Amino acid sequence: MQVSLSWLSTHLDLSSYTVPQLSDLLTFAGVEVEGIEERGVTTDKVVVAQIESFVQHPNADKLSVCQVNDGTGIRQIVCGAKNFKAGDKVPLALPGAVLPGGFTIKEGKLRDVASLGMMCSGKELGLGDDHSGLLILDAETTIGTPFNQLVPSDVVFDLEITPNRPDLLSHLGLARELSALTGIPLKGQRDYAKTSTKSKAAADDQVALKATDVCPLYTARLIKGVKVGPSPEWLRRRLESIGLRPINSIVDITNFVMMEMGQSLHCFDLDKLHGGIVVRNASEGEQMLALDGQTYTLLADDLVIADQKRAVAIAGVMGGEETGVTEATTNVLLEAAWFTPSNIRRTSRRLGLSSDSSYRFERGIDPQQVAGGSELATKLILSIAGGTAEDVLHVAGEAPALTGEVTLDEDRARKLLGTPDLTGDEIHAILEKLGLGKKAATKHESRWHIPSYRADLQRPVDLIEEIARVIGLDRVPSKMTAVAVPSDATDRAYDFAMTIRQALVNRGCFEAQTLRLIADAQLPDTLGGGTGVAVKNPLSEDHTTLRPSIIPGLIATAALNIRQGADRLRFFELGRVFLKLPNGNSREEERLAILISGPVSPSSWHARTPQAADIHELMGIITNLPGLSRVSIEPKAVKESPANFLLTSELRAGNRNLGWIAQLHPSRARDISARHPVYVAELLLSALRQGSTGPAKFEELPRFPGMTRDVAMEVPADLPHAKVAAFFASQKEPLFIASEVFDVFTDPTGQKIAKDRKSIAWTLTYRSPEKTLETAEVDAAHQRILAALEKALPATVRR
Amino acid sequence: MLSQLDSLKTDALAALAAAQDEAALEAVRVNFLGKKGSVTALSQGMKDVPVDQKKEVGAKLNDVRTAITDGIESKKLALQAALDAKAVEGIDITLPGRPGTGNGALHPLTQIRDLAIRTLRRLGFILAEGPEIETEFHCFDALNTPADHPARNEKDTFYLPDGRLLRTHTSSVQIRTMEAAKSLPIRIIAPGAAYRRDEIDATHLSVFNQLEGLYVSNDVSLADLKGTLEAFFREIFGPNTAVRFRPHFFPFTEPSFEIDVKLEAKGKDARWIEIAGCGIVDPAVFTAVNKSRGDNLFDPETTTGFAFGLGLDRLAMILHSITDIRHLIENDVRFLQQFAA
Repeated sequence: MQVSLSWLSTHLDLSSYTVPQLSDLLTFAGVEVEGIEERGVTTDKVVVAQIESFVQHPNADKLSVCQVNDGTGIRQIVCGAKNFKAGDKVPLALPGAVLPGGFTIKEGKLRDVASLGMMCSGKELGLGDDHSGLLILDAETTIGTPFNQLVPSDVVFDLEITPNRPDLLSHLGLARELSALTGIPLKGQRDYAKTSTKSKAAADDQVALKATDVCPLYTARLIKGVKVGPSPEWLRRRLESIGLRPINSIVDITNFVMMEMGQSLHCFDLDKLHGGIVVRNASEGEQMLALDGQTYTLLADDLVIADQKRAVAIAGVMGGEETGVTEATTNVLLEAAWFTPSNIRRTSRRLGLSSDSSYRFERGIDPQQVAGGSELATKLILSIAGGTAEDVLHVAGEAPALTGEVTLDEDRARKLLGTPDLTGDEIHAILEKLGLGKKAATKHESRWHIPSYRADLQRPVDLIEEIARVIGLDRVPSKMTAVAVPSDATDRAYDFAMTIRQALVNRGCFEAQTLRLIADAQLPDTLGGGTGVAVKNPLSEDHTTLRPSIIPGLIATAALNIRQGADRLRFFELGRVFLKLPNGNSREEERLAILISGPVSPSSWHARTPQAADIHELMGIITNLPGLSRVSIEPKAVKESPANFLLTSELRAGNRNLGWIAQLHPSRARDISARHPVYVAELLLSALRQGSTGPAKFEELPRFPGMTRDVAMEVPADLPHAKVAAFFASQKEPLFIASEVFDVFTDPTGQKIAKDRKSIAWTLTYRSPEKTLETAEVDAAHQRILAALEKALPATVRR
Repeated sequence: MLSQLDSLKTDALAALAAAQDEAALEAVRVNFLGKKGSVTALSQGMKDVPVDQKKEVGAKLNDVRTAITDGIESKKLALQAALDAKAVEGIDITLPGRPGTGNGALHPLTQIRDLAIRTLRRLGFILAEGPEIETEFHCFDALNTPADHPARNEKDTFYLPDGRLLRTHTSSVQIRTMEAAKSLPIRIIAPGAAYRRDEIDATHLSVFNQLEGLYVSNDVSLADLKGTLEAFFREIFGPNTAVRFRPHFFPFTEPSFEIDVKLEAKGKDARWIEIAGCGIVDPAVFTAVNKSRGDNLFDPETTTGFAFGLGLDRLAMILHSITDIRHLIENDVRFLQQFAA
C-alpha cells in the first residue's frame, strides 16, 4: 500500500522524525517498507524563474548561457538542456538549495563561464523519471514563487501490511499506530465510531437484506442534486500521491474516504436503479457487467447488490458499469456496508478480480466505523459536489461484534517473552497506547477491552505479540539452551548419505540436484520401473509429474553439459523419488543415481585421451560404495530392458534388491549427442544402508602364509563370470579360501582362440589356520578343485 | 715387502678410483683380496718374513687390507649414491600430478545444508523428515492456516487429483514430528524440498529447499529463539554478523519475526538481507496436534516452543554470490566445479 507522508501528517505531526527514522519505526512495528519515494523539494530555494534570453556557451557546444529572472533579479545560469525557448518558466535551484538525493547547489563556473544556480528537470526535483530536459512550467505561474508551493513535497512509502493488520490499510489507521509507537498525539477528534447522523431501520423496499450471514450490515444514504465534475486540486493531489487516478468528484471522494479511514464505499447513480436495493446471493450463472468493462458470470455463492431487476454490484468487489456515477449523475445512493471476509475472498479469487475494496473487505474492516465512513463521504460530497442529503442513514442489519475482552496472564507473558524484568506498568502502558482499554487488573493478571478495529486481538497470546512488537527483540536477552536429544534413524540416514556423497566426489563425480517435477516426455528415461505421481495442476508441460526415478534428471543434466562441450560426464544425485502404488497411494523413497560417460580419467599429460568408460567402470564405482564393501553384488538381467536402455540389470545382494544398472540405449544417447556410451545406475539408499549396519567385527589375522595356484581355462564365450565365481564359492575344500579372476581373453578374429570361446584365468588361494602348508597338500587340493571344475562347468583347464 | 705393500696399496686405490660400477669394484676386490689376489699372496709370504720385521710387516699388511676394504665399501656407497641420484635425474616436479579419476564436487546446496545441519546439531538439534506429498491437514489446517487462506488454492499450490498436495513449506514436518512424539522436549531440524506453483525465473523455482527448525518444551521463550538463531547465523556468516528480528506475521507462530542479517556485497555498503522467518509456536498449532493425537501432550497452557524456517537456495545464493537461482538446478559442470573442496 502506498502511503503519503503529507497525508499522514494531517493526522499527527511527524516533523521530528526523518524519513529513515520513520522507515525504521514502521519496520520494527512489523510493517515492511518496500520502497520510499521522495517527491518534490522541501527547500524554499527552488523557485519559479523565467528564461529571458540565452546564447551559445563560448567554450562548449552542448551548453547554453542563459539570463534568468528569479523574481528578484536576473542571474546567469549555464545549462545543458535544449528543450526551452526564451520566455519559458522553469524551476530554478538557487545556491544553497539541497535537491533530492542530497545534491547541494553552489555558485560556480562551467568552462570558465559563471553559473549562479541550476535549472531543473522533473527527475532532479523528485518528480517522475523525466530527465530529457528542463521541467517547463505553466506560463501562468508567478515568477519567484517557491516551487514547493506549486508542487508540495511529499514522501511516499510503499508498505507491506501483513494480513493480520487490516486496520493499517488507511492513513488514519497508520497514524493511530505511529501515534502509539511515538507518543505523538493524533490531531483533532477523528473518531468515526461516533456519528451525528440519525439512523433509521431501512424499509424492505429501500434495502432488503437477504443474506445477513455474509452481509450483516448494509447502509444507504441518498444524496440528491449533486453536480459531478472533476475533483478539486487538493483531492486530486491526495489520490495521485498514492498512485490512484482521479475519475470524478464522487468516485474520488469514495476512494479518498477508503484511503483516509479504511471504509470502502460505493456510489450508485440513483436514477439508474430500478427500485430499492436488494442484498442477495447471485443466482447461478447470473451475469454482470462491472466497472472494469468485463462481464462476470456469478455463482450462487457470490454476494451481489441488486436492484429490483438485476445485480448492480459484486458486493465488496466492484460496482456495475450501468449504475456507476458519471458526469451526468445528479442523484446518488451511497453504500457503506460490512461484508464477511471469507465470502469476499472467495468471490474475488474465483473471478480473478481484486480491487482496493475487496482487498480491505477480505481482510476485515472495522464494523463500528461503517456509518462514520458514510457520514464523512456525505459531508465531502455536499461540500464538493453540492446537493442535499437525506437526514437519515438507512440501516439494514447490524454491525457484528468482532472484538470483546481478553485476559492477560502477565507472568505467562514475561515467561514467553523471556523478559522477567518487564513490569506490569510497562505492559499496561504498551497496551493502553495501542488503544486497548484496561477493565481490571490484579498483580498477575489484567483484563482488556479490544477496540473494534483490532479484530486480530482475540487471545492472550495476541496481546503478548503486541507487547513483543512494541518492546522489540532488543529488549529480549539472548539465551542459549543446549538440549541433549538422542539422535534417531533420520540422523543416521543423513550421515550415511553424506558418506556416499563424499565417496562419489572422491571418485570424480559431481553432485547434481535436479527438479523433482519432470515432464511426461522424460518418463521413458525412468530406470527401475515405477510410475511417477502426476500433479493435477502443473504449471507447464515441462513439470507435470513427480519423478519415479532420478535418471531422467541426470540424462537431462548430461544433455546440457554435452551441449556445453563437456566430454567426460560423471554425475550423481541423491534424493527422493515418488512411486505410485497400485492402491492409489504413493511411496516416497531416497535413491542414489549415477551417470557416467567418456574417459575414465581427466585428460592430462600422462594420458591425453584415456579410454572411455565401459559398464565395468560404473560397476566398479558401485561396488566400492560405502555400505557395499562386504556385500557381493549379483547383477541379474531384467526380462525386458526398457526401450531407452540396454543391458538393464537388477543389482541383487542375496534376496535384497539394491537397484539397477544399464547402458543408455545408443539411439537415446544419440538424441543427446553423447560422444561416448552413457551408463547409468539407480540404487536404493535404504538397501545400501543395510550393508553398513553395526560396527565391523574383527577377524584374527592369518598366522601362516597362504599359497596360490593359477588356473587358466577355455570356456564358451557366453559363460558368465558369475557362474564360475559361484562354482568356486561353493567349493567345500577346507584349505581353499579365496579365488579371483585375473584375466579374460577373447579374440574376435578367431585366430588365437575360437570366436565362440574365451580364455579366463583365476588365481586360487590355499591356507591353513594351523600350519604352513606343504606343496604336496596344496597341489592335491588344487587338483581336486580342477577336477570338480571340469565336471561342473563346460571348461577345459589348461594344464 | 713393505715397499711392495705400499705400491700394492697405491695400485689398489687407483683401481678403485677407476672402477665405474659394481662389477669393476668386485674385480678390484678379487684382484687384491680374493683367494688368488695380490694382497692374499703377499700375506702368505708372512711366514718368510724375519721375526724382527713381522710386527711391522703384519701391521702394514693389515693397514693395506683395511684401506682396500674400506675403499671398496665407500666406493660402493658412492656408486650407489650416484645411481640413486641418476634415478631422479630429469624429473620435472613442476609438471601436473597424475589425476587418477579426478575429484568431483558436492553441490553447493548440499554444502550449505550440511553447514547448517552441523551447526544446529552442535546446538542439540536432531534431524527429522516428512513426506513431500502432504495432506491439507499437515500443510495448512494444523498450522493454523484457514481454508480460505490465500496460499490454499490451485493457483499457488500443486495438488494431486486425490486432494493431497505438494507441501508448500517444510513446516508440515513440525506437525508430523509432534504427532509422532512420545515425550518432550522436541528439538528438531528438517531440511527438505518444498513446492510452490511459481514460474521458474532468475529468483524463483517451483521446487526449492528449506530448513525447518522446532524446539518445544515447557519453558521455551523468545529469549531462547533469539539466542539460538543469533548463534546459528553467526556461525554461518561470521562471529561479528549483525542479526535483527523484525516483527512479521505467520499463521502458525505468534509472535512472528523475520530475520535479517547485515551483509556486505562486493563494492557496496553492507545492507540488511532477509534470511529467515521465525516465531513462538501458536497455541492453536498445539491444539490441532493434540486433537490429531487424541491426548494433551502439547498442553497449550503450559507447552511453549519456537519454530524457524529458512530458504537454503537463497542462503546458497547469498553466501556464494550466485546471481541466478537456475544455476542451482542446471548442474552445469563448469558451475559445480567452482564449489569443489
